[in-house]
Amino acid sequence: MLNVRNLTVSYGRHVALDGVSIEVTDHEMVAILGANGAGKSSLLNAIGGRVRIGSGTMDYHGLDLTKCSPHELVENGIALVPEGRGIFPGLSVAENLLLGANPKRARAKVDQLQEEVFALFPKLAERRTQIAGTMSGGEQQMVAIGRALMSSPDLLLLDEPSLGLAPIVVQEVFAALKGIRDKGLTIVIVEQNARATLALADRAYLIESGRIIGSGKAEDLKNDPQVVRAFLGGAVS
Amino acid sequence: MFVTILILGLVLGGTYALLALGLTLQYGIARIMNLAYGELTLAAAFILVALMQGFGISPLLTVALIGPVGYVVGSLLYTVMMKPLVARSSGGKLDVDSILATFGLLFLIQGALLMVFGPNFTSISYLDKGVTIFGVTVALNRLIALGICVVVGGALVIALATTRWGLALRAVAQTPTSAPLVGLDVNKVARQGFALGTALAATAGATVAMYQTFSASGGVVFTMKALVIVIMGGVGNVGGALAAGLLLGLVETFVATAIDPGLTLAATFAIFLLVLLFRPQGLFGKA
Repeated sequence: MLNVRNLTVSYGRHVALDGVSIEVTDHEMVAILGANGAGKSSLLNAIGGRVRIGSGTMDYHGLDLTKCSPHELVENGIALVPEGRGIFPGLSVAENLLLGANPKRARAKVDQLQEEVFALFPKLAERRTQIAGTMSGGEQQMVAIGRALMSSPDLLLLDEPSLGLAPIVVQEVFAALKGIRDKGLTIVIVEQNARATLALADRAYLIESGRIIGSGKAEDLKNDPQVVRAFLGGAVS
Repeated sequence: MFVTILILGLVLGGTYALLALGLTLQYGIARIMNLAYGELTLAAAFILVALMQGFGISPLLTVALIGPVGYVVGSLLYTVMMKPLVARSSGGKLDVDSILATFGLLFLIQGALLMVFGPNFTSISYLDKGVTIFGVTVALNRLIALGICVVVGGALVIALATTRWGLALRAVAQTPTSAPLVGLDVNKVARQGFALGTALAATAGATVAMYQTFSASGGVVFTMKALVIVIMGGVGNVGGALAAGLLLGLVETFVATAIDPGLTLAATFAIFLLVLLFRPQGLFGKA
């Protein structure tokens, strides 16, 4: 169980998150939906230890996330795929994946994890010797997600995995996310592509100007006229 | 004469390559341009001489132990002196801060060396007998020094290329911002990189003492040469540093033997200028 309470994050005088609370149960896929600048990424980066939080609590299975540095989170089963992917562009696909298995919890089962990742993204198996930075955006996103899975996480945080990708590649990424969800991982996903995300997620939180303005089951939200108008209107399916 | 230049050049080049390898690890991984690098090299050279002359300890034993000692010293140096700079740095500030801080450290170590060992040139006579190899007589100590450089440098290059530990060092060197995502503590890896660089400086220094004459004020020449080689090889390119180090050793030996010993430094910097002008990415770097 991931439990975030009254989280506040500010950049200088700009308040990005203002008293945000979310709860994510194990094996659940939860989407954070909102417009650009609403605070989605700030929320994910706060959980991932990448931005300094002002106040509030974050707890994951008794682990106080406010006291964890980013590299400790991975050891505790929390893997972040940040916006912009954060891969190692100068290293090969295989090296990126191997680095993903750097946390102690993953080292003993590198081969098994790699097989699972290759089953999910067959393209990575074909391209394992390619330098990651020379791949297309979609392929780099697969490297980023694959690398996160190599750490044998219980909780996967995904920040805009479809951002900047061609529609056909977006479909590929979402198909892979479905596979990951079906494995039973707990997933928190931040996305602008609300329609595709709601089709996969169990629940969603709606965020606006740094505040949670609504939440509910994905199925209900999909059919909520207000949500449709605000988040699904222009979204690419 | 050609074979003589080749062998003597490789001996000198082996030491240079090891020196450059250490400097490039420190700059590449820890982002610290260590201007006191040559002084750390000299300190190791003086320690080898002092242990031999004062306690009769075999230079070979010192060479074997000076690397681990250098690692510990480097680790302490990073923790005490560099970490505060890293902690408050952002953007390109660490470059300037570390250059100024290690510039100060240079004079601190140099002063200590001058006080303890004096300003005179020092050398030892150890395994100074000639060995004939390919028809050329070379002092045994030089061959041993070359062997040490080949083994240590080679082992390190292989370890960096093939082990998990080497992969972690390369990952932090190339993309430190992504390292925490795979559970790497950038500070810890940076400390290891700096310590490893110091270990190489110390090992190279010990090999210098085995066959060269040196003095307490000559550290800056080692730093400069290591820097020249790093830039020639391409910054962050470990294989390039090794190749460029051997090349510089060969060129210097050729100039000293065939033209004039007084011109070796001039030749070094002539090459340096040519590289900076025409191949700023290094001889082995990508354009």
